[in-house]
Amino acid sequence: MSAKSGIGKAMAHHGELLQGVFDHIDGYLRRGLVSLPYPALTSLATFTPNARAEITVSPTGREKARRAADLTIASFAQVRTGGHIQLVSDIPIGRGMGSSTADVLASIQAVLDYLRVFPTAEHIMRIAVDAETACDSTLFKQQAVLFAQRDGIVLEVFRKPLPALNILSVDTTPESTVSTVEFEPARYCPAEIEMFRPLRSLLRKAIDSGDVRSLGRVATASAVINERFLPKPGLRELQAIASRYDAAGLQVAHSGTMAGLIFDPEDDRAPENMHLARKAIDALGLVSAPLKLERA
Amino acid sequence: MFERVRPRNLEDFEEPRMVPLGGHLFGACFFLMKLLPARFMLKRAVERGQLAPGGTICESSSGTFALALAMLSVLNGYRLLIVGDWALDRNLRRRLLQLGAELDIVEEPHPIGGFQLARLERLQEHLRRRPGSYWPAQYYNEDNPISYSKVAACFIDAVGPIDCLVGTVGSGGSMCGTARYLRMLFPDLTVIGVDTHNSVLFGQPNAPRKVSGLGGGIVPANVDHTQFDEIHWLPASEIMASAHDLHGRHGLFMGPTSGAAFRVARWWSDCNPGKTVVAIFPDEGHRYADTVYDEAWLESSIPGWNGTRMEEPTAVSSPTVDMTSWAKYTWRRRNLSDVLGDLPPRI
Repeated sequence: MSAKSGIGKAMAHHGELLQGVFDHIDGYLRRGLVSLPYPALTSLATFTPNARAEITVSPTGREKARRAADLTIASFAQVRTGGHIQLVSDIPIGRGMGSSTADVLASIQAVLDYLRVFPTAEHIMRIAVDAETACDSTLFKQQAVLFAQRDGIVLEVFRKPLPALNILSVDTTPESTVSTVEFEPARYCPAEIEMFRPLRSLLRKAIDSGDVRSLGRVATASAVINERFLPKPGLRELQAIASRYDAAGLQVAHSGTMAGLIFDPEDDRAPENMHLARKAIDALGLVSAPLKLERA
Repeated sequence: MFERVRPRNLEDFEEPRMVPLGGHLFGACFFLMKLLPARFMLKRAVERGQLAPGGTICESSSGTFALALAMLSVLNGYRLLIVGDWALDRNLRRRLLQLGAELDIVEEPHPIGGFQLARLERLQEHLRRRPGSYWPAQYYNEDNPISYSKVAACFIDAVGPIDCLVGTVGSGGSMCGTARYLRMLFPDLTVIGVDTHNSVLFGQPNAPRKVSGLGGGIVPANVDHTQFDEIHWLPASEIMASAHDLHGRHGLFMGPTSGAAFRVARWWSDCNPGKTVVAIFPDEGHRYADTVYDEAWLESSIPGWNGTRMEEPTAVSSPTVDMTSWAKYTWRRRNLSDVLGDLPPRI
C-alpha cells in the first residue's frame, strides 16, 4: 500500500423531495427516495491502518461507520488489515439530515481511498445499506436518482442533476430527535401507493426541464402523503406560509424533523418573499435559515 | 409486503395515447379505458381473498366495463356473468358470448331507478344464487377511482402540468379518480364533468336518455361531486355531431362519450388560450359503427342530429331545470345536496 492513510468525504441532505414506493423494472414495488443534497455540511473520515485485528472508530459509538469500514475492507482489501476511522462531522444528528449515512459513506470512501480502488456508486451504496439498513442518495452527484434506500439500488436515473434551489430551512421540533433506525418505515395503504405514480412522473419532468415550481409541487404532495407516518408540528401552518409567499413548495425530512420552503432562485421576487416568509415563521415561534443549494 | 399480483396481461392496452388537437388541447385516446379499473379491481379482489382462482365474477354493465371484464376473465380463467339491458347491442352481445361470458338481459326498467336499478336488482338475485361469486361493483368500489393513478401519471408524462381536465361522468371512476391524483399536484386544476339531459348524476330529473356511456338513473357512490368546478349537459344530437367532428377533423374514430368530452373541451380550450387541457376519450368507435357512425341510423334515432351545432353552452341557474340544448352550470366543487338544497325526493 502506497498511502499511509485514506480520506473520504460525504455530504448531508436537507431531507427529501420525494419518498414513497415505486415500481421497479423487475415488476416489484420498492421503497425509494430522492434526497435533497446539502453540500455545505459534511462528514470527513480518515482511515489509518494499524496492526490490530479490528477496526475502531472515533468518536466512539459511531458503530455503523465502523461496520461500513469493516465491510469495505472485507470486500476490497487483498490483505485483511485493522485500522482506525476518525470522523469529523458538522451535520446535526437526529434531524433527518443524513448524519449517519454521511459518516458511513465517508468511512467507506476513506477505506477505498487508502486501498486505491474505485468501485461504482451502486457498489458503494450496497455496502452502505449493508452497514446501515437504509441510506440516502447523496452519493449520486452527476444526475439526480430515485434511489431504493433499503435495497441499495437505483430505480431511475434522471437526465439531469437537481436544479439550483433556495431553501428556507426550518426545524419543526428542535427539542426532539428522530432515530432513523428505530423509526418504523411507513406502511402505505394501496391508495397511497398509487399516489406516488403521478408524483414520480412530475418529478421526472421537473428535473429534466429544471422546473422548480413543479419540483415544489411534488415535494409538497410527498410531505402531505407522508405526514401521517411522522407528523411535523406546524406543517399546515408552514404550507400556508409557503403558498402565501409564493414558494414553489414545501419539502420535509421523511425520517427527521426538518422542513424546507422551496424558492426558485430564478424568481426575481423570491428574495423578498423569503424575507417575509422568515418573519411569518418567526411568528410561529420557529427558527428558519436560508440555504442556497447550487446546481450540482 | 409489496409483492404485486401480476400478470401483465393486456396492461399495455390500459394507457391512453395522447393526441394534440390544436392550441393546448390534448385528447387522451383509450383503446378501452375500462381495462384499467377492471384489472385493478380484480387484482385487489384477489389480494383480499374475494376472488379465488377459477372463481365467478358477476357484474351489471351494458357497455365497455362488461367487455373489459370478459377479456380479463378469458386471460385469467374466471367465469363471468353480465347483467345488461337494451344498450348492450348486438355486436357487443356477440363478443361477450365469444369471450365465454354468460348474459342476462333485463327487459323492463325499474319504475324509479330505470334500467340501471333494474339491472342491479337482478344482479343481487344472481349473487344470492351463486355464493362466493365476486361483484366488482364499479359504481361503489373505491378501487375504481384509485386505479386511475396510472392515467394521471400518463397525462403528466405527455404534457407536464395540466390546467383543465374534461370528461364524461358515468361511474365517476375515471373523472373523480384522475382529478384527485392531479389535484395533489395541481390544486388549481379546473375539472369539468360532462353529463347528458335527463341524467340524475348532477341533479337532472330522471327520464329516458338517448346516449349510453355517460350519465345515469342512479347516482353512483364513486361520483365525488366535490371534484367538479363545472358541469355541462349535452343533448344526444350535439354528442353525435361532435363524435363525427372528432373523426372528420382529427381522424380519431372514437365512441360517443369521446365526442361529448371533445365538444366541451374544445369550447373551454378556445375560451382559455394558453391553458393546457386534457379531454378523456374512453373508447374507440368500432363498437358504434352501426349506430353513431351510421347516418341512416342517426337520422331515424336522432332526427336533425347534424343540424346547427351550438357555438357555446347556455348557463343555467339550476341543474334541475328542463334542458333542451347544451347547458352549463358552475358547480364549484360542492356536494350534490349542497347544490340542490334539501329538495324533496323527486318521484
